[in-house]
Amino acid sequence: MIARRLRTLAFATLLLAPASGWAAIPLVVEAALDREVVAPLLEAFEQAHPDIALDFRDRSTLEVDERIAEADPAPDVVISSAMPWQMARVNEGYARRLDSAEARGWPEWAKWRDEVFGFTFEPIVMAYRLDLSRHMMPPATHADLHTLLTEQLELLRGRVTTYSPSRSGVGYTLFQQDARYTTRFWDLVAAMGNADAVLEANTRAMLEGISEGRYWLGYNLLGSYAMVWAQEHPEVIVQVPQDYSLVMMRMAFIHRDAPNPGAAREFLDFLLSRDGQRVIAGETPLFSVRPDVIGPYTAQRLRDQVGERLYPIPINASLLAFVDPQRRDAFMARWQREFERR
Amino acid sequence: MIEVDGTLKSRLAVWLLVTVSALGALLLIEAYLSSQRAAERAYDSQLESAALTIAEAVQWQEGQPVVEIPAAALQILATRHQERVFYAVLDADGQRVSANLDFPIQADWRKQVDEHPVWTDADNLGAGWRLHGREFDSAGWETQDPVQIWVGHTLAGRQALTGELFERAVTRFLVMVLLAGLLMLLAMRVALNPMRRLRQLLRQREADDMRPFDARVPEELRELAETLDTLFARQRESRDALLRFTADASHQLKTPLAGLQSTSELALKSTQPDEWRRALAAVHDGAERTSRLANQLLSLARLRHVADGSEMRRLDLATLLRETVFEWAERDVAEDHDLGLAKLPSTPLFIHGEPWALRELLGNLIDNALRYTPPGSMITLGLVRHVDEVELFIEDDGPGVAPEVLERLHHPFERGGRQDTHGSGLGLAIVDSIARRHDARLNMAPHTPCGLRVSLYFPLASQEDTP
Repeated sequence: MIARRLRTLAFATLLLAPASGWAAIPLVVEAALDREVVAPLLEAFEQAHPDIALDFRDRSTLEVDERIAEADPAPDVVISSAMPWQMARVNEGYARRLDSAEARGWPEWAKWRDEVFGFTFEPIVMAYRLDLSRHMMPPATHADLHTLLTEQLELLRGRVTTYSPSRSGVGYTLFQQDARYTTRFWDLVAAMGNADAVLEANTRAMLEGISEGRYWLGYNLLGSYAMVWAQEHPEVIVQVPQDYSLVMMRMAFIHRDAPNPGAAREFLDFLLSRDGQRVIAGETPLFSVRPDVIGPYTAQRLRDQVGERLYPIPINASLLAFVDPQRRDAFMARWQREFERR
Repeated sequence: MIEVDGTLKSRLAVWLLVTVSALGALLLIEAYLSSQRAAERAYDSQLESAALTIAEAVQWQEGQPVVEIPAAALQILATRHQERVFYAVLDADGQRVSANLDFPIQADWRKQVDEHPVWTDADNLGAGWRLHGREFDSAGWETQDPVQIWVGHTLAGRQALTGELFERAVTRFLVMVLLAGLLMLLAMRVALNPMRRLRQLLRQREADDMRPFDARVPEELRELAETLDTLFARQRESRDALLRFTADASHQLKTPLAGLQSTSELALKSTQPDEWRRALAAVHDGAERTSRLANQLLSLARLRHVADGSEMRRLDLATLLRETVFEWAERDVAEDHDLGLAKLPSTPLFIHGEPWALRELLGNLIDNALRYTPPGSMITLGLVRHVDEVELFIEDDGPGVAPEVLERLHHPFERGGRQDTHGSGLGLAIVDSIARRHDARLNMAPHTPCGLRVSLYFPLASQEDTP
């Protein structure tokens, strides 16, 4: 269904805009955000702004980060889930301030300098295959997971998957944040290493592995993708950790050298607006940040379900520490050491 | 002619405004600078804390400094104003161990940091930055090289805090100015109150009320009040003098007129032509005296009330004196006296004067001397030249005047206690008036061994001053 809608969208952008004879303003959005997931939002934007020709380029976080500094012409809007890297770029001065009512009204904890905005609220989850529950009690907390990995080691060997911290910026960020909360995280890393956990570069690969039966258990998946997947793949169960659950936010900013800053402002304003957030809450699993939006996917609703155990990765200067090369090296060294501990 | 030149209130207000504006400008500049300093201090100490926090994380591994940047340090750097942040850890050679921005650290900054912590401003990456650098000695197992830690952030927080502090200072200042202005208005009203009271007192006065003031005035108005008092006193005196003069003149005129009346009545009762003739002669004498008295009164009035000296000119006093004395010596009235001139100076003695007035003066002096000395007395006139004035004197060897009367001698109708002559008592008063017109001093002293010496000191006209 999503695919069909996407095709219509493509037709609309390719045929409709030039045919109507408008000099449509081009708008380039470089995004580390699956097009399929975000399609309803883009469609709504194009309907609201028929004079803007949206060019949404879906890339990996690494590519997006590179293009911020190197693309010529620069993109208009940059969206990425690699929060520390986005933050570093903003600190380097690549972002342009958004001065609008929407920006000013945005919650303080989800923006930085009025330049970069966290516009989604995606919980980090565990996912398991239905088979798992036939053999053992599925994990509901990080401690449960650790216990399972030690007690059911032989059953789970090679059937656990998680992010590769070296190949995925999101994965690295999540592990850094995990390590900030508890030192027992390293026991979990050691246990996963012990169980020969397979490291994947993205959530999709993990979900595909679980559906295919290669993996029984996945750790630190993006809830937004996992929930959509689970709707179409009944063998996959999504579990929001009951002790604490990290929340990742996609961060969007207008590029300093945006060729079309006006259109970029419109786009960002739309992302933050009630209309845009309502689409996010109702038609995507990205979860709306705004407390005044109602729908199945809102931060408020998630809080109601999970309680106060949601820990959004804070959008502030502390993120910059994650991209410090020495700190990263030290973290990776420790990861390797723990993961290979026998 | 009274010309109104603004109001005291507006003058005071203008001065106040000028003073307050000038002081205010200085005060505001100072307030701005001190706000800036305060903001600078507050945020510089955050830079310092961040640097210290980073220093805490520096460790040495195999002879190399390693730093795991603490997230807290970055949050301290960013402050609640969400500044862009910069950090760099440099080893002893100036090589970057760790840094987040490509921010050039100048060599001379590094050298300064060797000695003491440095704070400096710099522009980079499209923004102004405040940087702080300090050096830390380390004690590793393999090496003791120091490391330098540089941190920095953008200036939004400082500017916001400066603005906030300055705004408060300005508000305080404006409130103060407003209050001071109101108080000043009030103070002006109170301070100007005595003026109003004085004005009311003056207005309420009757036209002929010349009494001194009875009012409470502040020190600043004392002079004005005293001057007004003096003015009133002078007015009072001159009015009194005028009244006295008028009364005296009427009295003096009454006596000879009464004599004429009685003489003519007696003559009318008589039938003898001889009686008539004698009476007629007496009447003629009396009329002549009265006429002379009236003339003198007129000339005194003229002298006192014709103020302008339009007939003043440069003249030689010696010539004038000689002519006048010779003229008088030939008259009948002088035949019983020895009227003469002392030896006059050989050079002319120029003064500014009115010839008719000076002749009148000399005439009165000579006439007085002739009348108040017994026949055969010697009367001498003369001139003595002093440094910048000339003394005109007349002396006689008559009976002289009692010292206590000398002072009053020039008052009208004062005859030095003598009732035995036909003088009018106006002669010396006229002399005094003329002397005043010529800026001359009048001096009367007893003459030795007997008699009176009257001296007049005229200022000499300057030599260059030709007529």
